[in-house]
Amino acid sequence: MPAVTPTLALIIFAAGAVAGSTGALLGLGGGIFLVPFLNLGLGFPIAMAAAISLTTVIATSSSVTAGRAGMNLMNFRFGMLLEVATAAGSVLGGITAQLVAQTTLQRLFAFVTGAVAVVTIARSTQRNVITDPRVDPGRLGGRFFDAETGATVVYRIRRLPLAVVVSFIAGNVSSLLGIGGGFMKVPVLNAWCGMPLRAAAATSAFMIGVTATGGAIIYYGNGQLQPVAAAAAILGVQAGSWLGLRASPNIPVRVLKLLLAAVLGSISLLMLTRGGR
Amino acid sequence: MKSSDTRFEILIGRVLRTGVVTSIVCLAIGLPLSLAWPEPGAGARLLNIGILFLIATPAARVVLSTIEYILERDWPFAVLTSIVLLELVIGAVAALVFHRKI
Repeated sequence: MPAVTPTLALIIFAAGAVAGSTGALLGLGGGIFLVPFLNLGLGFPIAMAAAISLTTVIATSSSVTAGRAGMNLMNFRFGMLLEVATAAGSVLGGITAQLVAQTTLQRLFAFVTGAVAVVTIARSTQRNVITDPRVDPGRLGGRFFDAETGATVVYRIRRLPLAVVVSFIAGNVSSLLGIGGGFMKVPVLNAWCGMPLRAAAATSAFMIGVTATGGAIIYYGNGQLQPVAAAAAILGVQAGSWLGLRASPNIPVRVLKLLLAAVLGSISLLMLTRGGR
Repeated sequence: MKSSDTRFEILIGRVLRTGVVTSIVCLAIGLPLSLAWPEPGAGARLLNIGILFLIATPAARVVLSTIEYILERDWPFAVLTSIVLLELVIGAVAALVFHRKI
């Protein structure tokens, strides 16, 4: 592990700011960029990089959820039900991370980023949920006012077992690799479980705080969290996502997605070729 | 029903904001302090307090949800949120076990 000097702290802060603002622009957590940079760029072991990244995920989840409170966009009940699965997955992932080799984790990271790149391109045309305001949302469904269309959106949750299984896997990958895992849950909740995209994204952002806590507790308790590096990364990501949410880039969504896919593809290749040292 | 849900959402939002702001203030003061004086002291202590606040905030949200569902007599959800809490406790215990071994 490198010694955290003021210069290194500044570099980590800047990297956090870039990851946070890019993440906010693309609707993705910054962890997927931060972990490879800390690991390959700065030489932190991947478990330490994941620990630092998980703390930034918690901070982002808490502040985003606080900002959205009262809008009814987050589905608390459904989120808390799925948290049983994500927290179990993340605690198991945190334990597994202590037992497997660094190269295994790097290969898994390469695989996951590669898969996200493919999904990003494939989902350029999103499937929208058809909602009927007269439908009964049931115990787990939700209802929110959509300011864009000026209508109340009501939805019912379908295929609950699928949502639970995907949440468990997302929680597991989240704490193994130090990423939020929203990119795994949101497409599934949207495409197969009947959740409108905005509600799925908001609910996922709400859930990842608890998910990341399950992993972060293990890394922190085991002394794998470097406090100075974590502080620099958290402050950087917070500053970056604040900027990213306020910037309104004139780049078409399609171009942004292709750019994201290219970056993720490169990260995947770098993890495969440069990893294993 | 709806208004009580919204009230609960605002309450949770307030708890999360308090936790994350407290944590960030501690980290923002602790970071320059511990970089200027690398030996253990006020800076390192502030960083640890900040990180503990950060990790405790989502856990506090789960505790709050459990209490809310118990008050609402919504037993299935009171049980579900208790399980989440138990899982976090298992994580903390597992961390201590690992730490002793290494």
